Amino acid sequence: MRMIKLFTIFFLVFQYASIAFSAETEITISIGPRGFGKMTPRLIEEFMKENPQIKVNWQKISDVPNESRKLYVTNFTAESEKPDIISVDVIWPGDFAKRGWIAPLNDLFTKAELSKYNQSFAEAATVDGKLYAIPLYIDGTHLFYRSDLLEKYGFTAPKTWEELISQSKTILEGEKNPELVGFVNMWAKIEGLFMNWLTFFYGAGGKFFDEQGKIAVDSPEGVKAMQAMVDILHKHKIANESILTFKPNDARVLFQQERAVFLMVQDFVISPLSADDSPVKDKFEITRNPYFEGNENSHSTTIGGYLLAINQFSEHKEAAAKLIKYFTKYESQLESAKISNKAPTINAVYQDPSLKGSVLQILGENYKVGVVRPSAETGERYNRVSQIMQAEITEALHQRKTPAKAMEDAENQIKRFLPSERK
Amino acid sequence: MQLDYFKLHRNTRIGYLFVLPSLLVVIFVLVYPVIQAFLYSLKPEYSENSEWSFENYANLISDDRFVESFNNTLIFTFFTIPAELIFGLVIAVLLNKEFKFRGIVRVAILFPWALPTALNAIMWRWMFNTEFGIINYGLISIGLIENQLNWLGKEPLAMIAMMSVSTWKTSSFMALLLLAGLQTIPKDLYESAKTDGASDLKSFFYITLPLLTPAIIVSLLLRTMDALRVFELPFNFTDGGPLNTTETISLYSYRVLFEFVEFNYGSSMVIVQFILIMIMSLIYIKSIKNIDY
Amino acid sequence: MPAKDIYAWPPKLFPSPGTIDNYIKIFNSSPELLRYILNSTIIAVFTTVTIILFGGLAAYALVRIKFRGSFSIMLGMLGVSMFPNIAILPAIFIVFKNLNLINSYPSLIIAHTGLFITMAIWILANYIRTIPFEIEDAAKIDGCGPFDIFWRIILPLSKPGIFATSLIVFIFSWNEFPLSLVLLHDNDMRTAPVGISLYPGEYSFPWETISTATFLSIIPVLIITGIFQKQIIGGLTSGSNK
Repeated sequence: MRMIKLFTIFFLVFQYASIAFSAETEITISIGPRGFGKMTPRLIEEFMKENPQIKVNWQKISDVPNESRKLYVTNFTAESEKPDIISVDVIWPGDFAKRGWIAPLNDLFTKAELSKYNQSFAEAATVDGKLYAIPLYIDGTHLFYRSDLLEKYGFTAPKTWEELISQSKTILEGEKNPELVGFVNMWAKIEGLFMNWLTFFYGAGGKFFDEQGKIAVDSPEGVKAMQAMVDILHKHKIANESILTFKPNDARVLFQQERAVFLMVQDFVISPLSADDSPVKDKFEITRNPYFEGNENSHSTTIGGYLLAINQFSEHKEAAAKLIKYFTKYESQLESAKISNKAPTINAVYQDPSLKGSVLQILGENYKVGVVRPSAETGERYNRVSQIMQAEITEALHQRKTPAKAMEDAENQIKRFLPSERK
Repeated sequence: MQLDYFKLHRNTRIGYLFVLPSLLVVIFVLVYPVIQAFLYSLKPEYSENSEWSFENYANLISDDRFVESFNNTLIFTFFTIPAELIFGLVIAVLLNKEFKFRGIVRVAILFPWALPTALNAIMWRWMFNTEFGIINYGLISIGLIENQLNWLGKEPLAMIAMMSVSTWKTSSFMALLLLAGLQTIPKDLYESAKTDGASDLKSFFYITLPLLTPAIIVSLLLRTMDALRVFELPFNFTDGGPLNTTETISLYSYRVLFEFVEFNYGSSMVIVQFILIMIMSLIYIKSIKNIDY
Repeated sequence: MPAKDIYAWPPKLFPSPGTIDNYIKIFNSSPELLRYILNSTIIAVFTTVTIILFGGLAAYALVRIKFRGSFSIMLGMLGVSMFPNIAILPAIFIVFKNLNLINSYPSLIIAHTGLFITMAIWILANYIRTIPFEIEDAAKIDGCGPFDIFWRIILPLSKPGIFATSLIVFIFSWNEFPLSLVLLHDNDMRTAPVGISLYPGEYSFPWETISTATFLSIIPVLIITGIFQKQIIGGLTSGSNK
């Protein structure tokens, strides 16, 4: 008995002592080693120099969203207080906020601090008027084209889908190369498929939720977008059926092997396409995603990317906010744009003189007409909504349903899952 | 009588004592999650109703995607398990023979199985790629097919490809289990069969197969349990596509649990899968009992 | 396989041989890999040893001591281990979190033991069944207790079964992913498969790095396989002839 008592006392003293002597706050940031990896250790080191009372740990997580999500969901259902800061895919803030997993940031940031970010992007993290995550970097889809081929046939970069289709047909007929396809994109049944459909949909002047906040998938624009995708594959035949199995990197490879005229995919492809041993180096250009004739002002650049959010259960929210500010400030974004080609989320950075003439400026222009997936509005049902869309779009692409039927079915199913639509 | 009673009593105590450590670990690790999943599954996911009910289970039946994933899982299991058994048996019998470099071959044959499934699946996905995969290229080069096959984008093809990869990967696991089983068959049985003039094939069917049956059944049991839970292969190889034709119950329930975060509905799915596996396993266990007891 | 070969068109059947450069590169760029491999080794070794000891005892009791309820216990354990692994993540995480065991070796060793022990018992039981009763009876007459019989007779005689089972358990534990991911997620606690899962980017799959890292990470598996496969063959027959 005495031994036990002694141990208890010793233990208690030890505990208090350790609390008393550790004046520093320890926070953990969870972010992948690839996406923002080059910047993370630098920024952490600089930050700790400026804030010696805060110790920052970097918990590396997978950059593949599916894998990191598994870890987050498990951590949050157990109400873990670590990690304090999490990096979130653009489609997660609405979901996580509705579940009460991440903290609103309006009290930790000033209005001026919040308004400098790309507004389309920030929308994805705004739930019921409150901001839940700070944009870290953007990564959107763009149209890449073989400038040498277009030049050969006297074309300039297509602005509309109609132009893209007719240019593709002319080039395919002229080249007579059975290995060449006109258009390549990722149409496997993945999240990216929904992104691509949105590009067509917004390019046709559509909006996922109309002015009254009602879902508007089963609309003339929705059907038009769907019909255009089906026609590209089955009527104009400027894409191969293999497109139905493609993920972003597959599409990139086909283009890089000089076997595609147009490629619509995220900007990660820029560095492999322009690598020294790339066959298409100096043979491609980047332009804005096409829209349908008469919709010049439509937002057709579907954007994704990563944001930083604070764990609702974190015990060091102030310190966490401080670190997020450091990670996303102008200078950090400029540095990350230069070092790792990450597209900044602060609009002003694109105008920085030191970025003049860089490819990032083209991207920056495209992001001005950016659109995000409806993840903030649909909140915790976003993944349901996305999967319904993916399934119905796939049904139409496989010609098991007409585009009109697919859109009608999609809208009806989505309504079942959205409380706002049930009434 | 008296003595036997005591003996029985003592044996039971020792028996429990020996089983206890394993039992405790299993209870600690698995029983709580199973009970929790069952309780979750009784809370309705989509209605305001907070009473316990079987509503989630009723929803499962009308969920076409679930029904499809259920069927896919069964189809996948029914075709891959026999294929794996045949390949596994052949490999095991061959490896049991004496030949040069047998040790190296045995290590090599385990290679597909020892590599992480995720990596395997991604590798095969690459090889099955319609446009630049080596499989289409090879088939066209040797003139077996004229045009590229859209392996992962056409309906039965994707499932066939997935079954082939699974067979390639797990046959060696089957072989390992059977090989150890082959070792328990006394060599003199074969020798006396030989002196009686029996052919190799005959002694395989009359000696090897019957004596190997318990090992076969246990390996079938273990493999069936795993095949009914197959997740990483469709997850990395096909994403469940084209349409949902290669989506298994595990893949769909993963999506419901971790993407939709609908623990109640997802749990009902997992419980149904659990019951399915139990029913299948009971069939095997019954045959074990017939053999041994 | 160098990245160039993978993206080559037409595809190359025989990729240019993997280069030493890759291996040097990977150690320079991510020295943590060695740590991951060490973690995996610790987890897999402890899991295997625990499973063989506990599972061996249980298997022996279940097929040879034949007590009331033995078959039901075996069935019950088999039953719960049929539960789909992916579904136990949140529950198990909460259990270990309450015990303050997240990011510690014991958590994953216990979890893996629980996951794979039933399988091991079923495989082991199969071999123990083939041991002739006479040997056991002879030992009983010599006055050996049940534990002595297990330790001195059953274990040595089921050597091929034990090595086959160890190999299987070792590899299962080595490759297990979801539980390893959530239970050990600190930078220096990660297992090899979880560590390697950090290499792919959101869109890209760096083949060179990943295949090199994977080959490095399964070297312990290959060594174990090499050692064990000799034991799997010819253990029992020679043993019973003694």
